[in-house]
Amino acid sequence: MEQTQVVLEVQNLVKRFDGLVAVDNLNFKVKKGRIHALIGPNGAGKTTTVNMITGDNPQTEGEVLFYGKSISKMPIYERASLGIGRTFQNIKLFSTMTVMENLLIGGQGKTTQNLLKYLANFKLAQREERQLREKAEEILNFIGMYKYKDEQVSNLAYGRQKMTELGRTLMGDPKLILLDEPAAGLNPSERKEFIDIIQKVFENNVDMFLIEHNMDVVMNLSHDITVLNFGCKIAEGDPKSILENEEVISAYLGEGYRKQMKKEAGQDA
Amino acid sequence: MKRIANRQYLWIGAIFVVLALVPLFIDNNYYITILNQMVINMIVVFGLNFITGLTGQMNLGTAGIYAIGAYTSALLSKNFGISPWLTMMAAICAGFLLGRGLGYPSLKMKGVYLSLTTLAFTEIVRIFATNLIDITGGTQGINDIPRFAVGPVMLDTNTKYFYFILVVAVLVCLLSIRIVYSKWGREFRAVRDNADAIESLGLDIKKIKIRAFTLAAMYGTLGGALYAHFNSYITSLSFTTDLSINYVIILMVGGIGSILGNMVGAVVVTLLPELLRFLGDYYQITYCILVLISALFLPNGLVSIYGKITGLLNKGSSAEGGE
Repeated sequence: MEQTQVVLEVQNLVKRFDGLVAVDNLNFKVKKGRIHALIGPNGAGKTTTVNMITGDNPQTEGEVLFYGKSISKMPIYERASLGIGRTFQNIKLFSTMTVMENLLIGGQGKTTQNLLKYLANFKLAQREERQLREKAEEILNFIGMYKYKDEQVSNLAYGRQKMTELGRTLMGDPKLILLDEPAAGLNPSERKEFIDIIQKVFENNVDMFLIEHNMDVVMNLSHDITVLNFGCKIAEGDPKSILENEEVISAYLGEGYRKQMKKEAGQDA
Repeated sequence: MKRIANRQYLWIGAIFVVLALVPLFIDNNYYITILNQMVINMIVVFGLNFITGLTGQMNLGTAGIYAIGAYTSALLSKNFGISPWLTMMAAICAGFLLGRGLGYPSLKMKGVYLSLTTLAFTEIVRIFATNLIDITGGTQGINDIPRFAVGPVMLDTNTKYFYFILVVAVLVCLLSIRIVYSKWGREFRAVRDNADAIESLGLDIKKIKIRAFTLAAMYGTLGGALYAHFNSYITSLSFTTDLSINYVIILMVGGIGSILGNMVGAVVVTLLPELLRFLGDYYQITYCILVLISALFLPNGLVSIYGKITGLLNKGSSAEGGE
């Protein structure tokens, strides 16, 4: 049997803040063609883990491998240009700029970085800008934001801002997107729209790694789940086995959740 | 968006045309001197706009940068008899190196700490210039810095020199427009808006900041060199922290981040002392109060008035249309 390709692997990842061990000896693999979720109570070390993967806050010990290659010592922008895109828990947009401009910046890491060459070559400059714009328009259509393209992002509703951030990430042609609480702060209709878009992006051959508190979102979207508690992995597996895992229930989901699930199952039957 | 940008270019062009016409009507050498200073200020502020206006890093090192440009060109041309054309190039090269060097602290420091570091830089330059008397002449300064010729025309009068720097300013302005309204300008503004997000998009924030500093320093040293050859005399007494702050005021009064704003700021702030001359001893305090008022009520500078007025007019006309 052919083994599925591993997109991202973390090995013995440790993060210490002075005395506090935020993440302790964490191992997991994100496989190609799977949406992988990381869940756990507040303070379990989920965002810390994402920040170690992106390089925003590098690990104390351990390794991060992207397609088998160690990226643990790379600066953030190099990891991003390898194809690791991310969104932030608290949106980090360029707030005084328009939606279009935000997207353009997302794509320009791949354009020429030589100012002199750019200034000397009008044609190159024009072509680059046109290509960026065309790509941005395509993505705006894809995420259903085209009509907002000239709006200043700080004037948009929260859901639209989240969508803009996702669009900006897509401009960099990521192979893997790390979503830090994609559904947080969204109303039910926005949430559904966002999940649909994520699903569509995933179908376009982009792998996903997400942190999420909303269990509906997690259960609907993900194929693999890793559960963290106090910086340690307590369970891993498909959604069904996670729901039945005693340790996960006592640490995170709670007894009530199981009862609710049983009730729903009963109603379905 | 595009229409606003086009209209802005019209205004920029109009200001240059008006500036070019002024010497035809004014024969007073003193006023021509002020015009020269105004355009030199404009060039320096076009540069400062990159780092403080767009990238949002408060730079109080402008006077130091300006001084290094002035001394480089003055010393090379006077002591070694090198053509000022070449020494001005040398000044720009000095600016390039300086920008790289000054850019580094900006990678480690933010906000007030960066301002203080750049302020210290200005002071270091001034203290060196004051005390290296053998080289810089100290507070006595350097005199007889040569003027130069453009082809067959010797720039011996202030009016001729004015037209020369006006052409330089137009070129520098075009370069600024090309950078500011392109992906480079976008990157600069992105650093100001949200520095944390930049790197996750595959852009190296260090490069962007150093690029902004380098551009600012190159414009600044060019301005300094132009000043040295214009004035024919420089002294370390001119390059004080006050001068650095003055450039920030120009930037602020005109409109941070806007090229048109830089020009309006340079015109207004250079003229203000002359316009307020009738106040005599009360000039300083009036000037400060005016700057404060502008900062309080026009945080986006004088250029924002235009937008506000057209905004009000549009509102008025659309309300009328509705009824």
